[in-house]
Amino acid sequence: MYRLGIDLGSSYTKGVVVDENNRMAAFHCVKSGYNFNNAATKIINHFADNHEIEYPVYTCGYGREQISAPFVANSELIALSKAVYEIYKRSCSIIDIGGQDTKFIQVNASGQVDKFKMNRKCAAGTGSFLEEIAFRLDVTPAEFTELSNQATGEVKINSFCTVFAISEIIGMIKNGAILPNIILGIYNSIILRSMELALVEDFLVITGGIPAMHPTMVSLFKNKYPDSDSPEHSQFLAAYGCVLLNPMLQHGVDPVR
Amino acid sequence: MNDNPTPAKSELVRLQSANDLRLTMDGYFARLKDAAETRNKKIAWCTSVGPAELLYSMGFEVYFPENHGAMLGAGKNADKYIPTAVAHGYSPDICSYLTSDIGAFLQNETPLQKSGFSAVPSPDILVFNTNQCREVEDWFSFYGRHFKVPVVGIHTPLCISDLNPEIIKSVSDQYHRIIPELEKVSGQKFDIDRFRETVGLSHDGCVLWKQVLQKAKNIPSPINFFDSAIHMGPIVVMRGTQHAIDYYKILLKELEERIENNISAVPVEKHRIYWEGMPLWYRLSNLAKLFSKLDTSIVASTYCNSWVFDDLDSSNPFESSALAYSKLFIVRTDTVKEAVLEGLLREFTIQGIIYHESKTCARNSNNRFGLQNRLFKTTGIPYLEINGDLNDPRCYSEEQSIIAIETFIDQISGR
Repeated sequence: MYRLGIDLGSSYTKGVVVDENNRMAAFHCVKSGYNFNNAATKIINHFADNHEIEYPVYTCGYGREQISAPFVANSELIALSKAVYEIYKRSCSIIDIGGQDTKFIQVNASGQVDKFKMNRKCAAGTGSFLEEIAFRLDVTPAEFTELSNQATGEVKINSFCTVFAISEIIGMIKNGAILPNIILGIYNSIILRSMELALVEDFLVITGGIPAMHPTMVSLFKNKYPDSDSPEHSQFLAAYGCVLLNPMLQHGVDPVR
Repeated sequence: MNDNPTPAKSELVRLQSANDLRLTMDGYFARLKDAAETRNKKIAWCTSVGPAELLYSMGFEVYFPENHGAMLGAGKNADKYIPTAVAHGYSPDICSYLTSDIGAFLQNETPLQKSGFSAVPSPDILVFNTNQCREVEDWFSFYGRHFKVPVVGIHTPLCISDLNPEIIKSVSDQYHRIIPELEKVSGQKFDIDRFRETVGLSHDGCVLWKQVLQKAKNIPSPINFFDSAIHMGPIVVMRGTQHAIDYYKILLKELEERIENNISAVPVEKHRIYWEGMPLWYRLSNLAKLFSKLDTSIVASTYCNSWVFDDLDSSNPFESSALAYSKLFIVRTDTVKEAVLEGLLREFTIQGIIYHESKTCARNSNNRFGLQNRLFKTTGIPYLEINGDLNDPRCYSEEQSIIAIETFIDQISGR
C-alpha cells in the first residue's frame, strides 16, 4: 500500500506516493489549469497503474479541498516544513518559490514552525514573474538555464512590477545589454525579493518549482548563503509532508472527509 | 447549565443584543434624517475620534463620515466608488474611507438611501481632530468647499511619547478656539454645564464599552472582534449621549449571562488571538466564519479599544478631553504602543497576534516600523502579517490570506 500526497498549487499540481517506510517512491506533476479536481484525478490515475493507493489522499495548496476523492487537507507550509525536517532533522530556514507564492519559514530544532511569511499581493519574486518574462522574451526555462551560464556580468532589474520589469528589460536590450546578463539579473531580482521576507540566520533550504526548474538560481542562492542546500525533488516536498503529517491509518477506519 | 444546542463550527454565535443595536442605530439615523430634512437642528460632521462631546453639547446632530466609509466597505461597494474619487485626483494609495466616501458622494449614492435619506445629511460645519491622521482634514476640506461651510479642527501632535502639560494645554486651547465658530453656526451660546454633562455621559458610555471589551478576558470569551466591530457603532456615533449608555448596559448584561452559561463567541474556543489593525470591512463575515471554523476567537483588538476615553472627566472637561483624545493608541510612539500591547496580550491570555497591514491606512498599520519583531522578542508570542485594506478589496488576496491564517493556527497548535 502506498499513501499519496497531492499539492494542488496555483500553477502545477504535484503528486508523490510514499511507501510504508515513509520514503518518496514516485513523482508526477501536471498543470493545475482551471479545474483542480481534473488535475488531482490525472495524478491519481497516473499512479493507480503501478501503485495500490490508500485513501484518503493527503492534500495541500490552493485546491486542497477541490477534489472529489476522499482527502485530508493540510497547510502546505506546515507540510513543507515537516518534509524538510524529515530530510535534514535540524532547525533551518526555508525559502520556497512557487508559481504565485514565495514563502519564508523558520523551522525550530523540534521540527515545528516558529515563524513564516508569505509574499505580498504582488507577482514580483514569484514564478509568475519569471514565466511572464520568459513568455515575453520567448525563452523556455531550459534555455534560461543555458543562457544564464553564458553570462559575463549582471544587469540589475530595478522594477518590482512584472509589467514594468518587461519595459525595463526591453529598454536594456535597446541599450545593448546581452540576454544572458539580463537573465542573471532576473534571477537575482527574484532572490532579492525573497530575501526581503525575513532575515535568514540559519541553515537555508531552498525549495519549490522555480528553483527546481532553474538550477542557476539555486547556485546563486548558494553563493549568497554558503550554509544552504536545495534537496532533490524539492517541488514535491509539500505533497510529501502532507503524508508525513498524517500517521498511517488503520485499515477499516473511515476517511476523515 | 447551557441548554443551547452546540452550533456548527463555521456558524456564527449571534448576540441577542443585535436587535437593540439596530434600534439604537435606527434612532440615531432617524434624528439625523429629521435634522437633514427639517433643518430644525444644525448638523456637524465630525471625525470618529473628534470632539463629539463639544458638538452634542452645543445642540448639533453629529454625522461621522468614517462610519459612512465603513458602511460602504461593509456593503462591499467601496470598489465601485473609489475609481471616481481617483479620477478626481485622489490617489488610490490614500485612505480608502476617504476615496470611497467622496467617490460615492460624486456618484450621488449612499447606503443611507435605504433608510430614506435622499443623500448624506448636508453639513453646517465640519469639525476634525488630526489625532488619528492628517488625511481627515483634506477629506473634510473637500466637503467644506462643496457645501461652502466652515471646516474647523484640532491639530494634535503625532507620535506622542509623554503626555506633557504643553500638549494638553495646546489641545485644550484648540478646543476653546473652535467654540466661537460653533456658536456662530449653531446660534447657541456655549454652556459649560451642558459640556460637563456631555463629557460625563461620554465617560460613562466609554466605561461601559470598556467593560464590554473586557468581558473577553473570560475563557472562553463571550464576544469577539467581529462582534465588537459591529457593536461599537453607538460608542463611535453616540458617545456623549444617553443612547450609547443605554445600549451598552443591555449588551453588558447579555455578555454576563453568556459567561454565566459558558457560551462563547465561537462554538469552540481553542485559540485566542489579538487583531492589530483595521477590520477588512468587505470580508468581516467571511473572516468571522473562517476563525470560527478554526476554533479561534479574536478576543482583543487595537481597533475596538480605540474608543475607550475613560479619562474624560466632567469636573475638568477641556483638559480631560485633551488628555483622552491625545492618549489614544494611534497617536502614540511605538514605544508606548508596545507597552500597551504587552499589557493587552497578557490580560487577554493571547496566543498569537495578527497584524493587518492596510494598504491605504498607514497609521493603523503598526507592523511598518519593526514593532512586530520587537514585540515578538519581548513576549515570544507568534505573529502573522496579512496584507489587505480596510475598504479596498482589490488590495486583498483572499486565498493567500486564508492559507496564511490556517497555517498560523496550525503553528500555534504546535502541529
